[in-house]
Amino acid sequence: MIHHVMGVDGTYPLLLTLWLLPLLGGVLCWAFGPQLKTAAGWLASGALLASFVLTIVAWPTATQNLNGAVGAHQALVSWMPGFDFGLLFDPLSLIWTCIITGVGFLIHLYSIGYMHGDRAFARFFAFLNFFVFAMLTLVLSDNFAGLLIGWGLVGLASYFLIGFWFEKPSAVAAARKAFVINVVGDIAIMMAIFIMIAKVGSVGYGDVFSHVAAFGPTLFAVCVCLFIGAAAKSAQLPLHTWLPDAMEGPTPVSALIHAATMVTAGVYLIARCAPLWNASPDAQLLVGTVGGLTALVGAILGTAQWDIKRILAYSTMSQIGYMIMGVGVGAYEGGVAHFFTHAFFKAQLFLGSGIVIHALANEQDVRRMGGLRKKLPFAFFAMLIGVLAICGLPGLSGSFSKDAVIQGALEHGHPWLYVVGVVTAGITAYYMFRMLFLTFTGAHRGEIDPSHLGMRHPELVGTPHGDSHSEHHHAPAWLMNVPVAILIVPTIAAGWLLFGGGASWWATFFATTFAPETLPAAPISEMATTGIVLLIVALGFLVAYLRYGRMGDAKAAAEKLRMETVHAFPALTNAFYFDAALDALFVRPAAWLGALSAQILDPHIIDGAVREIVHLARSLGNGVRAVQSGLLRAYVLLVVGGAVVFIAYYTLIGVHR
Amino acid sequence: MIGFFALAIVLIASAVWTVAARKPVYSVVALLLHFAALAALYVTLNAEFLAVTQIIVYSGAILVLFLFVIALLSSGVAAFAQGPDRLPKAAIPAGFAVLVGFGLLAFGLANATPQATATSNSGSLHGAAGLANVFGSVADFGKALFTTHLLPFEITALILMVAVIGVVLLAGDVTPFVSRTADTKRVKREMREAILKEGGE
Amino acid sequence: MDLTVLPVALGDYIGLSLVIFFIGVAGIALRRNPLIVLMSIELMWNAANLLFITFARVYMNNAGHIFAFLVITVAAAEAAIGLAIVVVVFRNAKNVDVDDVRILRG
Repeated sequence: MIHHVMGVDGTYPLLLTLWLLPLLGGVLCWAFGPQLKTAAGWLASGALLASFVLTIVAWPTATQNLNGAVGAHQALVSWMPGFDFGLLFDPLSLIWTCIITGVGFLIHLYSIGYMHGDRAFARFFAFLNFFVFAMLTLVLSDNFAGLLIGWGLVGLASYFLIGFWFEKPSAVAAARKAFVINVVGDIAIMMAIFIMIAKVGSVGYGDVFSHVAAFGPTLFAVCVCLFIGAAAKSAQLPLHTWLPDAMEGPTPVSALIHAATMVTAGVYLIARCAPLWNASPDAQLLVGTVGGLTALVGAILGTAQWDIKRILAYSTMSQIGYMIMGVGVGAYEGGVAHFFTHAFFKAQLFLGSGIVIHALANEQDVRRMGGLRKKLPFAFFAMLIGVLAICGLPGLSGSFSKDAVIQGALEHGHPWLYVVGVVTAGITAYYMFRMLFLTFTGAHRGEIDPSHLGMRHPELVGTPHGDSHSEHHHAPAWLMNVPVAILIVPTIAAGWLLFGGGASWWATFFATTFAPETLPAAPISEMATTGIVLLIVALGFLVAYLRYGRMGDAKAAAEKLRMETVHAFPALTNAFYFDAALDALFVRPAAWLGALSAQILDPHIIDGAVREIVHLARSLGNGVRAVQSGLLRAYVLLVVGGAVVFIAYYTLIGVHR
Repeated sequence: MIGFFALAIVLIASAVWTVAARKPVYSVVALLLHFAALAALYVTLNAEFLAVTQIIVYSGAILVLFLFVIALLSSGVAAFAQGPDRLPKAAIPAGFAVLVGFGLLAFGLANATPQATATSNSGSLHGAAGLANVFGSVADFGKALFTTHLLPFEITALILMVAVIGVVLLAGDVTPFVSRTADTKRVKREMREAILKEGGE
Repeated sequence: MDLTVLPVALGDYIGLSLVIFFIGVAGIALRRNPLIVLMSIELMWNAANLLFITFARVYMNNAGHIFAFLVITVAAAEAAIGLAIVVVVFRNAKNVDVDDVRILRG
């Protein structure tokens, strides 16, 4: 077994500590929840803050470079040849760890305010910490098996948190849906691991990546299997349907799991497996295409949503589409950079929407909002920054990373993905400003009868989750505002790490992780791309402004929204029938199969076999029972009969053998 | 030779009588005759000691035991009253099995090739019964029993001992043992209750 | 009397033993009085003993005598225990009949 070195072997107590701290916090919150009360939130946040600080302290170990071995490698458990579990802390893991612990900490802090008064306060933080631990396992593992363990645990944590308000049937259904689709991805990754074991005999990253040639024609299959896993976790077409439904969970959960970290695990997986993708152009084309399509479809669907969190969910799906497109076509730095910046501005947008939802007693429908700029100036400011960042206003973080992805698609020879990226940027601007205008400008429509707004089932809109939450005494606003305020800084500034093209800090940072390539100069320069994107974005903004920026008084706005709701395209309101298609393709055949086995296979064949055996044994017993008559003479006759048989054998056969 | 056939007729007739007798007492008498005839047959086969043992043990001990039991059971119950016959057609399979088994064995006997070769460990058939080297004599038998076959002999002693204990436990009156301990317990309990009662008052 | 010659043919002894043995078998199979059943068993023991003694004489080996002696002893033990069981089982019964003892029926 050739041991390909990834990371400098050694003992790194810091790494172990930052990995296990969230687990400790989660266990403590879980075990002592009733005693800790609100302290559970502070405990969990503290564990994460410590973890984040340790990540920063351990920064140099992740970037150390010893004869080509980049980062830190801590061996933990050796199971059998090819199954060595350990932690790998290299630049790629480092970026993810930073986001998971850093953004995670801010969202924990925010949650203390948001979840204040909830009946299961401590349980919430136990789950959050458990999620962070699972996510850290995923990104810090040095092999595919450990990655799969983290992958599965993350899905489990997501299931717990989406279904956190399990009194709500819709939340339970959403949690189940998310879990099932995620497990589809888990199985696909497992298949990829099986192929790796068959071809390479190892699941370690180093071993697999140094034997890419051993895969031969199966390399594409491995890539496809891994990508199915990535698509399920990162909400790529056609496995994205769980993400909008997952917004049933508490808003901090949406921010942490379904925007900033978990859904980007697919991006991590593909970036981590860059050597595999680099060797398989077909897989690159597949992933890039699916990513681009997801970006486009997510953006289009985002224009037709009324639930503020669903708008953000589709936006997340679209943005992850960008990332996947980036890492898919080979522009790894761009894709990872978009993950990095997206984590900040999307978390900020979600937390900002959380402030709005919290202030409106769990109203989530933008048709019943409006004019909140005066009431919630801070939330407006924060979300404005976030929207500008996601749209790609030059200077804010989003523009750098998004342009890097779009330009990367062109540089790697995929012009039509470039077009898709640019178009999507325009649509993004449209739906984000639509949300902003509907929420914060115009007249407040909260008092208008829902039916006048075109809402068919007003009782299903919004999330009335338990009486305790609506009656509770609001936590100090600063607890929710501070994390958002902190997030504004990286939302604005993080992009400047990318400034300077090939000589930027970002490119230098990843120079050892992703081998720098020399690509033919793109027909459109980077500056020109920025200009084109800006133009399209301005167009999107203009359309949004014309449609939603000047809606007049409450009555006119309500009428307009009602008309729009009634006349919406069915294809858009039904999310392009993806759910129906998946239902018809997989769910109904599965249900039919289940019914078949429940009504025929199980009762008649499996149970039938058991029953027949029972019947056989019973009739056999009944037959033999007659022999046990209890009559001495009958027994004697049997013995004599047996003796006669023996005598017959020895006199007739035995002697004249 | 004539003696053998006379004894054979007596043996078969008495056996049939034993099995077919209406009352057990008649069976015992027939069996007594059978054992006596068998002892005589043993003498013709140079087994004097066994002939004597047959008379003493079988006729003297076992048959007397049978008689005792018959007397015991007859005294308390309606003498061997018969219940309903639960196997009325038993004679057919029994007769079939007996005839077939006997026929087969007779057939096998007729076809067998005798391999009779003397593997004598005893000297002569002639001489006084007290001499150790006469086959079947008491001295010959005793020497073999207490030397070569000592272990089976000891085991037999153990078996007899177990049988005696078993019979005592089965048929003997064991209630005194049981009731005594039960009585002791009852008395102790009553004493305890009495003490408790006094203490309460 | 010759050492190797029996008073009659060996087959006659064996045949006699067989006849007695099967009379015993018939007694066990047909009689319902437990005492007669026990006596039939004694008949079978004796049939076996006759063979032991005959062959001891044929082979001039007194191991057959020893075995017959042991059989007599065991038969005595068997008779004693059998009779004890009969006494226990039928002590309070109205009928002395093996057909009435059916506790072990399936």
